[in-house]
Amino acid sequence: MAKKNKSEGTVQVIKKPLSKRIWNHRGFYLMFLPVFIFVILTQYWPMLGIRYAFYEYKVGRTPTFVGLENFYDMFSDPIKQKAFLTAFKNTLELSIIKLLITTFSSVVVSILLNEMANLFAKKILQTVIYLPHFMSWVVTASIFSLILAPTASGMVNTALQSWGILGEGEYIYFLNDTKWWRPVYYIINIWKETGWGTIIFLATLAGINPELYEAADIDGATRFQKMRYVTLPALANTIITVLILNLAKVMNLFESVLVFWQRGVNDVADVISTYIYRTGLAAGATSDYGFTTAVGLFKSLVGCVLVLICNWASKKVRGRGIV
Amino acid sequence: MAENTKIAVKRRKKIKIFPIVNYLLFILIGLLILVPIWKVIVDSLDAKTVAALRLWPYEFTIAGYKRILTYNNLYMPLLNSVITTLLGTLLGLVLSTLGGYVLIQFEMPGRNFFAYFLLITMVFSGGMIPEFLVYKQLGLVNNLMAIVVKHGINVYNLVLMRNFFEGIPQGLFEAARIDGCSPMGIFFKIVLPLSKAALASIGLMFAVGAWNDYTAANIYIMKPSLYTFQQQLKSMIGSGDLPPSTEINTSTLANASIMIAIIPFMILYPFLQKYFVKGVNIGAVKE
Repeated sequence: MAKKNKSEGTVQVIKKPLSKRIWNHRGFYLMFLPVFIFVILTQYWPMLGIRYAFYEYKVGRTPTFVGLENFYDMFSDPIKQKAFLTAFKNTLELSIIKLLITTFSSVVVSILLNEMANLFAKKILQTVIYLPHFMSWVVTASIFSLILAPTASGMVNTALQSWGILGEGEYIYFLNDTKWWRPVYYIINIWKETGWGTIIFLATLAGINPELYEAADIDGATRFQKMRYVTLPALANTIITVLILNLAKVMNLFESVLVFWQRGVNDVADVISTYIYRTGLAAGATSDYGFTTAVGLFKSLVGCVLVLICNWASKKVRGRGIV
Repeated sequence: MAENTKIAVKRRKKIKIFPIVNYLLFILIGLLILVPIWKVIVDSLDAKTVAALRLWPYEFTIAGYKRILTYNNLYMPLLNSVITTLLGTLLGLVLSTLGGYVLIQFEMPGRNFFAYFLLITMVFSGGMIPEFLVYKQLGLVNNLMAIVVKHGINVYNLVLMRNFFEGIPQGLFEAARIDGCSPMGIFFKIVLPLSKAALASIGLMFAVGAWNDYTAANIYIMKPSLYTFQQQLKSMIGSGDLPPSTEINTSTLANASIMIAIIPFMILYPFLQKYFVKGVNIGAVKE
């Protein structure tokens, strides 16, 4: 084919030689250079440091190669194993439950918003419920630790006292009680992220063909039936997409837990990242770089597998990957 | 005939009840979101410590805000946060526009390599400790630039930018090239002016990220004189580390500090809401 074209000399876009094409794009290479340098320095160079997972490396000492000992410690050293497995289980439990309940509340709120005929009221509520998303986790933690404070100035505790639910001088330590910490953490997450989560569902709802509702009207469907048989099925694909996209990130749970973490609730609140942070960076002279790098590597590998699974699931469900 | 009207009446009744329930739910949800925020606003303006929720402060004062803006240990963190936010947003926009622009050059040799070069970092990373050791070697520990760099590199935002650029008609690039415009010229004269909405949306995402940052600051900044405002807030309220002050109520000061951390975006937010929302939609619902 190519030969024939050549011999006949027909007009055809002939690919220029590689060196010529590179030269023609020289401006673009130059423009990519800053990105390249930054990514090499901040993303790829740290990957070389993963080798410390196989070293004994305490702060201020020289690293010595120990093979798989750090991984061995993770799964069999009595103290480290308990702390590590607690953190691992908490990471999965906290992020998955958080993901399910915030997605559920977002779906409910977006269906309500969609049913609202008064556009002005709808707009106002949207503005209000998006607001907490822009508050940092530190701000959120500050607001709620003041409101939930177990003192005479804590709004919730004093209200419970005046309603007679709590006795005089009796307080609930919401953020420092293993019984209360998780429910409070989930509620705060619902408060902060429900509104923002509705955006993607509202976009889907706006795209539903109005004829479907008209047809349902003609068939005499009630409002509830329309929600159940028209709205929800239309949302199903988006819900699955949101769950898949976020499932890939479950290992990344960090800041939202770090700001609420206290020693007293460590057993229910510690996640992999806070565990790495505490034992690897915030432990002062006893900081253990080698072991925590190994824990970090384990976290990255699990995260990587999750991303690949979610990518595969995403391709199945919606025809394109997540990365 | 009579039956028909009966049905019509029934219908109308049903339709009337739902909106009322919906309005009530709306008000309830709105209040649940707003109550904690309102409590902070009122407490920050009240000279007394009051546990109960109220509409208006008992004893109005702005001493809390004054204290933050005049007390060294409080306005320095604020300044540090402003610096890291501005520089982080600037670096983020420069890198994501440059990278996004190069990634839509489908003819460029090595373009796929660059795409994978970036995508790998979204799936796999060195982790907290190796990253800390590298930043240490780069002299970024106890250096505000650590936060700037950490937020300036964001491959996810770069890909969002690329997706937006891809929507610009290729014919425009072609025409400019024929007119003898250089890649840099096309970038500045065509790509950037056509992408104002994306620049606003993604710029806002960078700004919110850097302003709200606590993780990076917490890892890389240990010197109290370099604390960002979020760090200062955490150490004040989380550890009760309030600056010495005799003339001011601690609750007033604590709540005013929270307000200072929120105010910049509270003021901008009503005007910029559509850009925030657009940012989500560029990424999530591309079709």
